Amino acid sequence: MTPLRYPDGHIGRLVTGLQTARSVLGDTRFSSLPAGKRSPVKVPGSELSTDALPPGMFVNMDPPEHTRYRRLLSKHFTIRRVRELRPRIQEMTDRLLDEMESAAGPVDLVQAFAKPLPTLVTSELLGLPEADRSQFGHHVDVLFSLSSSGEEMQQSMMGLGGMLTALIAAARKDPGPDILGRLTLETDLTDEELLGITIVLLIAGLETTTNMLALGTYALLRHPDQLAALRADWTLMDDAVEELLRYLSVVQIGPIRVAAEDFEFEGQSVRKGEVVTVSLPAANRDPLGFEAPDTFDIRRGPSRHLAFGSGPHQCMGHHLARLELAIGYESLLRRFPRLELAVPAEEIGTREMMVTYGVLGLPVRW
Amino acid sequence: MRIEIDEDLCCGAGTCVLLAPDVFDQNDEDGTVILLDAAPGEEQRAAVEEAASRCPTAVIRIA
Repeated sequence: MTPLRYPDGHIGRLVTGLQTARSVLGDTRFSSLPAGKRSPVKVPGSELSTDALPPGMFVNMDPPEHTRYRRLLSKHFTIRRVRELRPRIQEMTDRLLDEMESAAGPVDLVQAFAKPLPTLVTSELLGLPEADRSQFGHHVDVLFSLSSSGEEMQQSMMGLGGMLTALIAAARKDPGPDILGRLTLETDLTDEELLGITIVLLIAGLETTTNMLALGTYALLRHPDQLAALRADWTLMDDAVEELLRYLSVVQIGPIRVAAEDFEFEGQSVRKGEVVTVSLPAANRDPLGFEAPDTFDIRRGPSRHLAFGSGPHQCMGHHLARLELAIGYESLLRRFPRLELAVPAEEIGTREMMVTYGVLGLPVRW
Repeated sequence: MRIEIDEDLCCGAGTCVLLAPDVFDQNDEDGTVILLDAAPGEEQRAAVEEAASRCPTAVIRIA
């Protein structure tokens, strides 16, 4: 944990060690409440006010309020529940790959696969009707795109808000077996809370998984020996997913916390109001936590990486994310035994200064 | 080996269930941990210790 000057001059802290990162994220004296939070670097959206956020956005809460929401939602993301989703996710994956295969020339893997797969899975979990999914995908695309204008973003924000509000109303009227339907039946959450929860699920589940799918494929293509080992033994898939999560650590900025009081922490005096940013990529390459941390090695075996964070806010969808990634990578690589980049690697652009790292596009052929 | 759990702090991540499925299960209602075996045999020690050290809210204690 070292001092860090934030863009507005605030002197806070940066955490780069694996053990300290775990301790900070597990200690609720480092609060998740939005008051006083700052981003260590300027990223799109970081200057937006959090005053008008709908209730139910539990990522910005501390226990016990956070615990209440988390408990209501966790049942939809248990290992058992996620395993039941496997055949459906496989089906959606295969359909996307069918479409991709029918294309003649090189395709952009981000547009053809990495983006639509998590969007389809999330749409289904939320009970979004098939007819609305392309519109939904468009809004999400605009909101997460670097090249969208302010006007386009505003329009898609309104459009998405309208869709989600209508979706919640429909779930109240005729609850389906999806998460929203179940939440309307089984909880006393208000429509506003459901909206906040839905937004959190979208933010958490889409961009991260999309970037992991595309960047992970890129990493495998750039490490032919590792890719060959995986192709020779698919039982390495789960370990490969863990290593890709660790090695790539796509959440580049944050989690961010604010000290809720003055206290001693690991021999340092922390002052109330100090902003503490945990660097997951740094923690996941801590030489004290991982042997040869900069080496990408799918045979590393069980690792204690923090790609999903730690503490009470650890990613609730981690089982789902792991399943989507394992199915996604394996199905893609099996379908296209000669998958390769369609452009020189130097031409692959990356997402700089964004919360979530990734490739801007990934032209591939087979 | 005896296992104690602080259920109030469990965040329902289910990591323990993945690592030691004979000892831990996940409640279908809120995802929180269910201790299947509070005194498992020594053959479970490695898995349980791994589960304890990887639990995101560190609620598993081994006595």
